Amino acid sequence: MNALGILMVLVAWCGVWLMGTSLVLAMRTPRAWDAPGEAAWTKGAGFLLGAFVLTLWMRALSAIGIAFGILSIALPLLLLTAAALWIARRRGSLAWDALRSTIVEAFCARELDGWRRYAWLAIIAWLALRLAMLLVDVTLQPLYPWDAWIQWATKARVWFELKHIVPFVDLDRWVAAQGAFYTDSSPNYPSTVPLWQVFSCIVLGRFDDVLMNLPWWMLGLAFPIAFYGALRRMGFAALAALAGAAIIVTLPLVDVHVALAGYADLPMAAYFTLAALALLAALETRDRGDWMLALLFAIACPMIKNPGIVWLLTLAVPVVVALMPRIGVKVALAGFAVALVALLVLAQVSPTVMGYRLHLEFSPPWGALFDSLFMLGSWNILWYGVVAGAAFGARDWLAPRIAPLTMLVAAGVLFLFVVFAFTNARAWVETQTTINRAVLHLAPLIVAWTMVTFRAWSLRRDAHATVAAHDLAGAAG
Amino acid sequence: MAHPDEPQRALNEPAASRFGHDIIVAAIAGFGAFAMLFAIYLAIVVPGKWLSGVSERVWPASDLVLAGGTGAVHGGALVVSAPDATGTTLVTLTTDIRSADFLGVEWDIKGLPDGADVRLLWKSDVATRRTNLANGVVEAGGLRTFVLARDPSWIGHINGLALAIRTPLAAPISIERVVARPLGALGIMRDRLREWTAFEGFNGTSINTLTGGADAQDLPLPPFVAAGVALAALLLIGLARIAPRVYAIGAACTIAGLFVAGWFVVDARWAWNLAHQTRATWGTYAGKTLAEKHLAAEDGELFAFIEKARALMPATPVRVFVAAGEHYFRGRAAYHLYPHNVQFEAFRDTVAPASWMKPGDWMLVYHRRGVQYDASRKLLRWDDGPPISAELKLIEPPGAALFLIQ
Repeated sequence: MNALGILMVLVAWCGVWLMGTSLVLAMRTPRAWDAPGEAAWTKGAGFLLGAFVLTLWMRALSAIGIAFGILSIALPLLLLTAAALWIARRRGSLAWDALRSTIVEAFCARELDGWRRYAWLAIIAWLALRLAMLLVDVTLQPLYPWDAWIQWATKARVWFELKHIVPFVDLDRWVAAQGAFYTDSSPNYPSTVPLWQVFSCIVLGRFDDVLMNLPWWMLGLAFPIAFYGALRRMGFAALAALAGAAIIVTLPLVDVHVALAGYADLPMAAYFTLAALALLAALETRDRGDWMLALLFAIACPMIKNPGIVWLLTLAVPVVVALMPRIGVKVALAGFAVALVALLVLAQVSPTVMGYRLHLEFSPPWGALFDSLFMLGSWNILWYGVVAGAAFGARDWLAPRIAPLTMLVAAGVLFLFVVFAFTNARAWVETQTTINRAVLHLAPLIVAWTMVTFRAWSLRRDAHATVAAHDLAGAAG
Repeated sequence: MAHPDEPQRALNEPAASRFGHDIIVAAIAGFGAFAMLFAIYLAIVVPGKWLSGVSERVWPASDLVLAGGTGAVHGGALVVSAPDATGTTLVTLTTDIRSADFLGVEWDIKGLPDGADVRLLWKSDVATRRTNLANGVVEAGGLRTFVLARDPSWIGHINGLALAIRTPLAAPISIERVVARPLGALGIMRDRLREWTAFEGFNGTSINTLTGGADAQDLPLPPFVAAGVALAALLLIGLARIAPRVYAIGAACTIAGLFVAGWFVVDARWAWNLAHQTRATWGTYAGKTLAEKHLAAEDGELFAFIEKARALMPATPVRVFVAAGEHYFRGRAAYHLYPHNVQFEAFRDTVAPASWMKPGDWMLVYHRRGVQYDASRKLLRWDDGPPISAELKLIEPPGAALFLIQ
């Protein structure tokens, strides 16, 4: 029964994945499948797009009063998949054989030789083992972590049983409504993640708070594939890109968020990262498909978790920097300065925004922050690598092709800093309850940025060495 | 003449051989860097002789005497539930050890509140009337090893140890054993390995943070590996500059390669931990139905009660008010009750006022003080508020009940 349930949910979510991939194919301009990273990016981003479109459709169904069911959800999405595939085929974007062979080639790494191939295969095997362990955990463990059952799956349970979305409201409105509305500890949280759980349960035909969490495992598979594709598209060699993706898969905190599924932080990180990477690609390629993907993933951010609205706003920074190459960086820096001045103004008042009391009490919990990032086991040695990589590449932070990403990362870091240094969220840092989850939203993008800046340093160093060798040869000649 | 697609073996082989040679050099430098770092660490922390001929001495909980406070030996541990009237818990142990052989004393204790005032007391045969003491450091609910090498009172034969804890106890503390340690280099190496490889099972805080082994660690693995990577990188970059014939890989490749290697060293520990967790998850839940899984979970008892309650409640959703003393039980009870229209306070132990309730609503009480029911008059009240009419539908000792508001 359990194996059949797992299979049913996996097949259903593979359908969602196919739908998303077909939409990506329909949106993007035709490309050669063997171009580095294209197949991986399309496949990985496809899952995230499909999972988001699924919830948009479920919202629409609820809005027009049609009950959730296999047919009402899946049939229109199947038609959408077929339409997207038809468009992709007409535009010459669809080449299944090429796609399949590209993926097979990628897994077998035939293009790599010698030690690189062995390293590739070893890393793939290591990641496969990790994902297998996580699959066992996620398919056996009933919903476990705290917030998952006081503010996320509460909605999933109700919406699954009632077969439509009913409002969750704060306590005052709940009392006044005399039973018409529901309440939980965070009634204002977005519905995307609960709707994933509802869809899994609809497929199963019962509320199952174990198997409803399988999309987290699939996200843990799809997100690194997309991340790998994005790194390849940025010009990284296959092995380097795989190492970058492996860092994401093997981050202990990411693994825990897959194994103990039910929180929105890993989805938040995945959608924000892909929105940023698609946006950065669009700014370079001006490809319509990249723009559309960036837009859709950006729209998804606030629909995953409330802080997503701020992550969405940070995406404006690289646009400004890229579209105004001469003054963009200055404009962004001026914006950061304005933000800091605004904090000084906030010293005079104490408004509450999104549940966080804003008041200037500058007292960053450095000790707890340092422990979280550098001493404990949540992040492996990530932040040592980030500090070192960023330091090596410091001279290249504002290089024309890197500046948009640098300023985006700076905006994200500034946001986290403001939240944890100036607001009452500081207490959650000291108790180690929120700091890592908040940092997780930005961490994958920081991995990409560190790799880019480190590569820039490496290339500059190589160029310097070549010039020096030429000079030496010239002098000797 | 070779086919154009064939690899240029003759040209590649020397390059591959050279690369293999450099990898071996890098591996030697890496191991050397870690060995050097650990040696420096040992030089700092080993308080006495590096090589001690004495084995550690272990006293189980059954040897301990609770001289102040309330508790008993249970499941191989001395469980202390309350201090004495002065707020002090005092545990004593009769010993016969040479202070020169044992420079550290470890109390294997769990559940100590942060900020607890903890002191180690001891008597020796040098000044028999004098009781000596050392202050303890509480960390992650445990106690760091008392290092007594430089304490002038740690002298002669130690014939009695005691631990004094001055703090109120909100929850019981347990002491599993006391260990006298020579604190030689090998012992400290073993301790660090034990801390790094200690199993860290999933718990309520795992979603927020992972310690990466034992709760309290003297030398956490991530900074140690990061320092080792940095030292190895410095050694190799220096070597490439001074002796390019010995090592010729560029700085960027060296740093990146060492970082990835370091990453997988730390990740191997995490993978091992995860494998243990997966096995534990499998052992707890494999082969069970969904209901059986919930019964096997931490809140299985609550789940069983809620299932009985749900069987008595209407099939269509009704309003249910949840009262429970612990926020964990309030939240879990509410979660199991959905899709009924549940009201619960996630963070505060408060119950909705009686004025919110109307006939047909339900109230579920689970381990909550201050709730009273007069069965003869069918009146329910809580927290000294006004009584409301209610019918008791289900009761399970201790302290679980379901009421229908009338």
